[in-house]
Amino acid sequence: MRTVKEPGAAHSGLSDWYWQRLSAVVLLLLLPLPFYLLTAVYSGNLDQQALLDIIDHIYSRVLHTLLILALIVHAYMGLKVILEDYVHRIFWRVPLIGAMLVIMTGFGVWWLALIWAWA
Amino acid sequence: MAEMIRLSVFRYDPEKGGEPHMQSFEVPLLNAGMKLLDALNYIKWELDGTLTYRRSCGEGICGSDGLNINGVNGLACITPIEGLKQPIHVRPLPSMHVIRDLVVDMDHFFDQYRQIQPWLQTITPVPEHERLQSPEDRARLDGSYECILCACCTTSCPSWWWNGDRFLGPAALLHANRWIIDSRDEATGDRLDQVEDAFRLYRCHQIMNCMEACPKELNPTAAIDHIKRKLLARKS
Ligand code: SF4
Ligand code: SF4
Ligand code: FES
Repeated sequence: MRTVKEPGAAHSGLSDWYWQRLSAVVLLLLLPLPFYLLTAVYSGNLDQQALLDIIDHIYSRVLHTLLILALIVHAYMGLKVILEDYVHRIFWRVPLIGAMLVIMTGFGVWWLALIWAWA
Repeated sequence: MAEMIRLSVFRYDPEKGGEPHMQSFEVPLLNAGMKLLDALNYIKWELDGTLTYRRSCGEGICGSDGLNINGVNGLACITPIEGLKQPIHVRPLPSMHVIRDLVVDMDHFFDQYRQIQPWLQTITPVPEHERLQSPEDRARLDGSYECILCACCTTSCPSWWWNGDRFLGPAALLHANRWIIDSRDEATGDRLDQVEDAFRLYRCHQIMNCMEACPKELNPTAAIDHIKRKLLARKS
């Protein structure tokens, strides 16, 4: 029989929910921009140099940074919920969520390094 | 000769052992407005007295005959035979432990109901007469107080199937909201604290199965949404 677990101890659901919505809004606003650039390139309105100029611009870098952060936060929250829903054994759940956090952080740092041209 | 209705009914008696199975029955159509519960009663009284199910009021009030009917949760007593595809598959509420045939163990469901403390909580002194409420404030309870705790919603919620040990499920949350919006209740803060963790409320992914399933046409999803907005408003 399923037992009733005590409430409370788990971390705040409100902040998770809040970050999920917030990052969704940022994605909604910013995600169309790279696609717009892509179509401009494919249609021949933008050559390589012009594209690089746009991406190099300080505003682009800031927006790009916001986009990548929102993307990672959103993906992390979403995948975490899926893992929590379907992986019930703590033995698997905690390391899986941890591994996901590490991989995503690594990916984010790498991407940010590219944007800000440390690499 | 009366028109016959074909049913396929879930049978399982753990005490006797054996596998759960579906058993076919044929029942005469007794009258035009015949409900599924009438057919189950006919089986029990005329064909096979061992068929076990819960029912009491026969009017959609007590909430005891929640069943899975052709794959959809509903109350047998208010589900018309007419319009149901035959053979009518009658099963116990999904994801529940079967005690016998169509009777399931409701303990956990009611434990979760108890967890939201479904009674008026106040700190101000008890007035000489009753605690008054304006007609407008009373009207805000419409759509909540009608719930008969039949569990049709909660047992149709995938989130509750996966995480029913921690997620309260739509019925309990509908009631949580009923007390949160009650103008006479003075424990709103505590009630919100109770559901702010990651599982009890926020496991609802707005799949809306609950709303589809409710035989009283209530909307637990909206209630859950209201609690979320209350929590957000409290933070900001
Ligand atoms: S809306 Fe929420 S509570 Fe209702 S069925 Fe979906 S997940 Fe469950
Ligand atoms: S909300 Fe509807 S389906 Fe859910 S327990 Fe109440 S009456 Fe039954
Ligand atoms: S018998 Fe009471 S609700 Fe169906």
